[in-house]
Amino acid sequence: MSNVNGEPTSVNGKSWTARARERAVGALPPEKLLPDSQPSYMSSWIYVFGVLTLTSLIVIIGSGSILALKGPGWWHFTGIGHFFNSIHLWSVELFFFFMVIHLWGKYWMAAWRGGRARVWMTGAVAFVVAVPCALTGYVSQQNFDAQWISTQAKDGLNAAGVGSFFNVTNFGQMYSYHVYLLPLAVVAIVIAHVLLVRRHGIVPPFQLSDRGEPTAREPEPARQPDSAPVGGRAS
Amino acid sequence: MIAAIVNLNHPANTVHWHFFSMSVANVVVLVLMFVVFAVAILAPFPGHRGGAR
Repeated sequence: MSNVNGEPTSVNGKSWTARARERAVGALPPEKLLPDSQPSYMSSWIYVFGVLTLTSLIVIIGSGSILALKGPGWWHFTGIGHFFNSIHLWSVELFFFFMVIHLWGKYWMAAWRGGRARVWMTGAVAFVVAVPCALTGYVSQQNFDAQWISTQAKDGLNAAGVGSFFNVTNFGQMYSYHVYLLPLAVVAIVIAHVLLVRRHGIVPPFQLSDRGEPTAREPEPARQPDSAPVGGRAS
Repeated sequence: MIAAIVNLNHPANTVHWHFFSMSVANVVVLVLMFVVFAVAILAPFPGHRGGAR
């Protein structure tokens, strides 16, 4: 907002955009959002599975977008359609493969230590939301496999008492869930998860001397003697 | 159409053991995940010196 002379004005001090910007930058300054070094303990294969999961998700979104643009006739009856259908399926398989190993690793590291409870919880919720996102894909294939899965799932869901909220034999509903609602939720939660990881830093491994004290302090940016570029030029 | 490496033209084989029942394909994936998890923990990371702290 500005006056007739073009000078910025505000009724009550700062505008909401300025407050939002300052709050965002305060929570996640650029050097934390896009760091150029990581602690030396990140030099382990177990820390790779989070980014492998993200990579799989990007391939899922890309191949799924192409399938959505072309439609079932294309993915069932053309060679290139079969190819992208397979890319979509196998990227989902790898997504869950990598995500579960990531989850195992973080569980045994107690990755909620040091004020990282929200990091852990957003990761767990991302997994829980990704499962129905995949299952709605199986019933959206437009083939006998989808019919079989949806009729079996219908009985199970009705037995569980949730069948009145959605209908897995309704292709239009399941397709909407699969290509819009659930992917939007997964991507939003994953973005929140990654931003929280950036804010709090990756969880340090247990120290041998810390046995019996299953807590970890937040790493202090000012003193990082073990910080080194990824790849391990640690002193 | 390119043929599959293994013959898939039959109902899925399953592993039964007491209450446990799972398709062979799922058992293979599960075992592979345990193997990859163990390798990820034990295998040295390229460029990382073991004694660095």
